[in-house]
Amino acid sequence: MLNSEQRSKVTVESLLRLKRSERPAPEFWSTFERELRQKQLTALLEKRPWWREMPQLLARRAYLPIGATAVLAFTLVSVKFYAPTQLVQLESPSSGDAAAMVNRAAARTPVAAVEEAPSINRSENANSLSDGRRENVAMAAEAPAQADDDGSASTVNTPVTSTDSPSSRYIATNLDRLEKTDPELVQAVMGSRLSAPARVQTASLPLNEFASVPNNLARRSRILAQYNERPLNPEPSAPELVRERLARRLGDSDINDRISRIGLKGDQVSLGLTLRL
Amino acid sequence: MNLARVFTKAIITSPERQQEADADFTVVKRVQAGEVAAFDQLILKYRERVFGVVYNLTANREDASDLTQDAFIKAFQSINRFQGNCSFFTWLYKIAVNTTLSHLRKNRLRSFFSLEKLHEDGTNVEVLEQLTDKKGADRDTYLRELQEKLNEALQKLSIPHRTVITLFEIDGLSHSEIAEVMGCSEGTVRSRLHYAKQFLQGELGKYLQS
Repeated sequence: MLNSEQRSKVTVESLLRLKRSERPAPEFWSTFERELRQKQLTALLEKRPWWREMPQLLARRAYLPIGATAVLAFTLVSVKFYAPTQLVQLESPSSGDAAAMVNRAAARTPVAAVEEAPSINRSENANSLSDGRRENVAMAAEAPAQADDDGSASTVNTPVTSTDSPSSRYIATNLDRLEKTDPELVQAVMGSRLSAPARVQTASLPLNEFASVPNNLARRSRILAQYNERPLNPEPSAPELVRERLARRLGDSDINDRISRIGLKGDQVSLGLTLRL
Repeated sequence: MNLARVFTKAIITSPERQQEADADFTVVKRVQAGEVAAFDQLILKYRERVFGVVYNLTANREDASDLTQDAFIKAFQSINRFQGNCSFFTWLYKIAVNTTLSHLRKNRLRSFFSLEKLHEDGTNVEVLEQLTDKKGADRDTYLRELQEKLNEALQKLSIPHRTVITLFEIDGLSHSEIAEVMGCSEGTVRSRLHYAKQFLQGELGKYLQS
């Protein structure tokens, strides 16, 4: 047993230092190294989830300003180059095919307008043009220079100035379609001296004429109603067959419907319609 | 030299420690540059010290072996995040201690001793001579009993107190280094150290008093 003098020298610190002597045998380290190597290889092959890499990415603060600048520059460039396209789409959201056809007509307008401008002034339809409409024709006449200088940009902007309303675009579309299906009829009604683009301008103008047409009629009915109100002056040189067909078509178009009676019963509404041929 | 390195030099007061930290940082730079084999130098240099810390915290050699390997794996995986804000061994200790504390919290109710043999060498002969005058088998039995009582007393300490006294008395870290590893103030380290010594004196009084 220890005597009291020896024990008095032993402290907690000296006892704890004994723990330094608790060391594993040398063989232990060979096993340790082998296991560690296996774990290291496993860790190298193991795919870490992406969120484990986030702190490391955020730690690289030097790259953040560069990335932010690149994103900002890309955004600015995108807005700059795609804004005109979006503007056109916003201005003609419901036109669809009509807008495309009007674009094509407007692209053809300059040449036709320059060539046909004197004849427009001589014709009856052209006499009814207001000053604003003539400005439109004049603007269309200026279009080729823009097309030459700017390429597609001026072509995109042209329909915005030459189309006044969706109704005028519909009329232009129907006229164009009618011209394809029945060119003789169109020639007889409108005359051959007006080109298609000039007719677009003419057709798009008298909006007050359409005020009398009910909105619920189909496009075809509205166009035919327009024709019905016009004085029918086919050229004397028009073939007899064409005149007959034109008269028959206008006769068919004289179809009007009228609400003759409205009844209310509970939460129901009944309408009485009378068709007159 | 960036502010982090200056701050690191302020923490590491000893010139030897500073040289050691600079040498480690050079090796770490090589590993970060893609020379994976250079990490083996760091493993060979620190494996015994890291194992010692983990072993003294767990009092289980198998757990200590696994946790030491895990600590080196984590350090290897995170080596690119090491920017030299502290010395490498402090950073490695921090990983090892956090790994061990996490293990101890998970297995709070499942702990048993698996102790290494107490080797008698020049560093502890004087203490052992003071503790016992026995020889042969009686001496070995006595030392075994002392070792168990010592580990038992350490395991009765709370985890933070056990960590502080292990790092200070057994591994020889300074107060500032322990504060860096544990993420607390030096005052907290001193306070915990004082309490842990008082507790161990009460538990090991049989071997301290006549």
